[in-house]
Amino acid sequence: MSEDKEKMISEAVEKALQGDMDAINNIEDRITRSKAKAALAKAKRTRKTEEASSEESEISEAKVEEKLNFSQNVCKKIAEKFPESIDKEQNKDWIQLKPENWLEIAKWLKSNESLYFDSLQCNTGLDLGEGILESRYNLHSMKHLHKIEIRIKVSVEKPDIPSVEEVWRVADWFERETYDMFGINFIGHRDLRRILLPDDWEGWPLRKDYEEQETYHGIVVPKVKEGWE
Amino acid sequence: MGILENKFDDNIIVEKLDKLLSWSRSTSPWFFQFGLACCAIEMMAAAASRHDLMRIGIIPRSSPRQADVMIVAGTVTMKMALRVKKLYEQMANPKYVVAMGSCATSGGPYWQHGYHVLKGVDIVIPVDVYVPGCPPRPEALIEGLLRLQEQILEERPLTRKTG
Repeated sequence: MSEDKEKMISEAVEKALQGDMDAINNIEDRITRSKAKAALAKAKRTRKTEEASSEESEISEAKVEEKLNFSQNVCKKIAEKFPESIDKEQNKDWIQLKPENWLEIAKWLKSNESLYFDSLQCNTGLDLGEGILESRYNLHSMKHLHKIEIRIKVSVEKPDIPSVEEVWRVADWFERETYDMFGINFIGHRDLRRILLPDDWEGWPLRKDYEEQETYHGIVVPKVKEGWE
Repeated sequence: MGILENKFDDNIIVEKLDKLLSWSRSTSPWFFQFGLACCAIEMMAAAASRHDLMRIGIIPRSSPRQADVMIVAGTVTMKMALRVKKLYEQMANPKYVVAMGSCATSGGPYWQHGYHVLKGVDIVIPVDVYVPGCPPRPEALIEGLLRLQEQILEERPLTRKTG
C-alpha cells in the first residue's frame, strides 16, 4: 500500500470518529474503503476500553478511601447522635465507646438504613492489666458488606456493660462466655450464667490476677504440680 | 466384690468354679460406651470393623448398669469428674476401669497449666489399666484390654480373702 493511501485512511478514520461517516463512504477504491472501516472499528474499540479503565480506577480509589475512613465516618455519625458516649482515645481502625449508652447505640447501629449492622460476628473479652477489662464487638452488615469494631473499657471494680443480647440474639452465648471467663456483668442479659465452667466455680479464669481455688467438691485443684501426689 | 465373696473355704470344687467364673468374666468384659475427647475416636475405631473388639468378647453398652468395664477415653475436666464418679458408682460389681490416653492417666498436656482439668482420673475412681498415648492407637487400647483380661483371669472371686 502506498503512503498516500495510508494517509487517506487515517484522515478518513479521524473524520469518522468525529461523526462524519461520509469521509469513509466516499472513498472510491473498494479495498481502501474496507481497510478504512476496519481501522475505524479498531480505533473505536481501543477508545472504549481506555475510557472504561480510567472510570474503574477512579471508582476503586474512591472505594478504598471510603473503606479506609469508614470506621472514622461511623464514629462521627455516632458522635452526632450520641455525643457523650465516644471515648477520648480513638484509633482509625476501631471505635472506642463508653459503656453507658451502648444498648441505645447498638439498636441505632442495627436499625439505621445506611449502616444496617445486622450481624454481630464476635464478642471478645480482654484483661488489659492495671484493673481494666475490655469487651470488643465485631459488627458486619450483610446488606452493605461493611464492618466495624467497637471496643468498650470497664474497670475491674465495676465491670458493668449493657447487654446487647436483645439486639443481636447471638450475643446471648458470646456474653455468657465473656462473663464466664472475665466476670464482666452484662446488665439486662436474660440468662447470664456460666457457660463452660460449672455453676459453682469460683473466680474468673482468664483475668490476669486469677488464682485457682484449693478444692472443688473435695477434689484437689493443684496450683503447681511439683510435690503434689 | 459381690455377694459370693468370702463365703466359701478352699476346696477342689470351689477352686474349679472360681476358675470358671473368672474365665467367663474375662472373656466378656462389656465396656461402657462414652467418650470425652479425641481418644473416643480411637476407641470407636477399635470397636469398628477393622480392629473389631468383639472378636475378644468386648462390646460397647450404652448403660452403666450393663457394663463391666469403663474406658475413660479423654480429658476429664473438673465439671465432668463428678459425673464420671457418679457413672462409676452406677455400674454393677464386678467393675473395672481403663484410663485411656495421657489426659485420663495424668492430665496430659494440661499437667501444669490446666486449672480446669483433673490430673488423672485415678483421683476420683480406682483404675486397673493405664493405656499411654496421645491418643493411643486402637492396637494400644486392645493391648490394654488384653492386660485387663489377664488381670481378671487371675482373680478368684469365691475364695479371695479381702481386708
